[in-house]
Amino acid sequence: MSPGLVDRDGETHVRVTSGLVLSKRRFAGLIAGVLFLFAVPDLVRVAQALDISFFQLGVIHRGLVFGFAAVGLNLLLRHTELVSFGHAAFFGTGAYTAAVAAVYLDVTGLLVLLLLATALGTVMAGVIGALSLRHTGLYFALLTLAFGQLLYAIALGQSALGGSDGMPVRPGEANEPLLFGQALGDAYGVVTYYITAVVVLVGLLVMWRIINSPFRYALDAIGQDRTRAEFIGLPVRRYVWTAFVISGVYGGVAGGLFAVFRRYVTPDGTLYFLQSGDILYMAILGGFKTLLGPLVGGVVLIVLEFVGRSVTPYFEFLTGTVLLILVFGFPEGIVGSLGEGGVFRRAVGQTRHGVASLREDPSVAGDWGRRIGRGLRQQIDESLTTLRVVLFGVS
Amino acid sequence: MASGLETLVVQTLNGLQFGFVLFLVASGLTVILGILDVLNLAHGELFAFGAYASVGIFGYVTGAIAAPVSGGIGTTIVFVIGILAAIVVTGLVLIPVGVVLESVFLRPIYERDQVYQLVLTFALLLIIIDVTKFVWGDVPIRTNSVYSGINQIPTSELLGITFPTYNVFAIVLGAVVVVGLFYFFARTKTGRIVRATAINREMATAIGVSTDRVFTLVFALGAFLAGIAGAVRVPPTAATLEMGTNPLVLSFVVIVIGGLGSLRGAFVGAVVVGVLRSWMISFYPPGEIAAPFAIMAVILLVKPEGLFGTWGETA
Repeated sequence: MSPGLVDRDGETHVRVTSGLVLSKRRFAGLIAGVLFLFAVPDLVRVAQALDISFFQLGVIHRGLVFGFAAVGLNLLLRHTELVSFGHAAFFGTGAYTAAVAAVYLDVTGLLVLLLLATALGTVMAGVIGALSLRHTGLYFALLTLAFGQLLYAIALGQSALGGSDGMPVRPGEANEPLLFGQALGDAYGVVTYYITAVVVLVGLLVMWRIINSPFRYALDAIGQDRTRAEFIGLPVRRYVWTAFVISGVYGGVAGGLFAVFRRYVTPDGTLYFLQSGDILYMAILGGFKTLLGPLVGGVVLIVLEFVGRSVTPYFEFLTGTVLLILVFGFPEGIVGSLGEGGVFRRAVGQTRHGVASLREDPSVAGDWGRRIGRGLRQQIDESLTTLRVVLFGVS
Repeated sequence: MASGLETLVVQTLNGLQFGFVLFLVASGLTVILGILDVLNLAHGELFAFGAYASVGIFGYVTGAIAAPVSGGIGTTIVFVIGILAAIVVTGLVLIPVGVVLESVFLRPIYERDQVYQLVLTFALLLIIIDVTKFVWGDVPIRTNSVYSGINQIPTSELLGITFPTYNVFAIVLGAVVVVGLFYFFARTKTGRIVRATAINREMATAIGVSTDRVFTLVFALGAFLAGIAGAVRVPPTAATLEMGTNPLVLSFVVIVIGGLGSLRGAFVGAVVVGVLRSWMISFYPPGEIAAPFAIMAVILLVKPEGLFGTWGETA
């Protein structure tokens, strides 16, 4: 079916490809998002002129690639309800593969490096997945973290991999990977950014295909109840493993992109378990019940970290606090809260409703005050009881 | 090969000492995991926090009590008791920290998706790192007088091998804590209540156990043990900001080897990991990091539920 306008439920929708039909508003959002993605290098120049320090190509690129890894993680998190705490393993594998191939195997082609990074990331995901998926729940999280730290320790301990200093990705005389045999010179950063943008878009499209396929519904069933999924004949282990490998591929690709853009990889920057935590953090921050959430979360978190770092040496306290607020106040994340039925929509609706009733009858303000007071008193009572129970054991 | 044998003995003892420290961290983590069903990623930072806190407490103690001069039995006993007291006080300092973390942050999210409690403990990890950095600064801090003071007491020299007395002290202390912990869970009423909660939460509630209290108690106990472990670890090394990661991850390995929530498994796993790691350091250095993970992978393939399965029925 060709792209064009279609009529659905009495409203005009836009069909992009077969199956991908969006409302006009969402279509406009999609176009704006894609345009923004490709306009970043130009906007960076504007930002430089305006002296906005956080809007740098490196910062946005970092956010995009980590967010891309989080998109992969999200397949596992959202549908199979498995929490991987070791996704930096695949990110780091991709990054180190690019570096090792460039330094030791004299691979000069940028795209070849990316392909190798993807391939090794996939293999690593296959191995770690086969071992970790013997368990579910927290045990699975623990195993992925342990394997991730193993890779970190290996990278840290091998002098061939540069130890804690890391290693450069610099084949060729021009100190940079070549695109179709051409050295890019000054345009290198911008061109690799565009490649990243294209890869991210393709990756999102693929992920969109996956989460609109029967495979996704099988994963949902597995996530809800494994035993039942097995009873209706789903090959649970194979499906979960496949999902794990797919999510690992996203990590590997992201790591490769990171390595060729930075032209330098370090164990702390790619493999450390805090990076795994950050990738999970991004998915939660952006909203792990959505497709785009993790990507948005990635960019937002990296920008937040960058700004935080320039303001205070205790930026981890800052990001930790933001995470706490997120867990307790906005569990749906940014995209989830902005979407229909999200916290923001509801808040806007309630405010509108409140203003309207206040206009009708100003005395409702007193009712509200009383209700808030009662709620507050109840809360205080409850916490005092809890404290009493904890301290003296009597309620 | 007398010297080779001596190396083996010394390295085994070193490994045993590290194994006991590891057990103190892993036992708290595994009991919290078994009862609260929470993977406490901030546990390593509690260990680091204990290490930092102990430096100040050690400083106070060694300032008040003179280091033992060789031969003086009275001063030696006073010094050792002082150090022991300092270690216990460090553990006690961690108890309110554990109580606050559990009752304020963890309690509201037991009913929610597991991913939220993972990111919550991750957030606590980030926050505790920076609180530690804020209070004690970014440079490693040491306390040399404790290590050198205790090493003046001759023990291993009596057997003809050179081995720091502090490590003997740490092994003995670790063994005492292990015995105490097993006694607590096997014989005391509170320990049995905790185990009952681990076996069946609903049933425990039905017979009148306040699970809220048990949860807080278990978390506080975990923090206490982590604090002691930090205090024991500091004198021969130093308190650094990164010191929490390694015990945390090795504790995961220990839990996988021993079995989820199993105290006995945690003990066996910790000793195996500690001793193996120590052997590797002297006989095959590149294997130091990989060896524990290699055992973990083997256990996963051969016996995925761990050596001792689930805890609760026996201590």
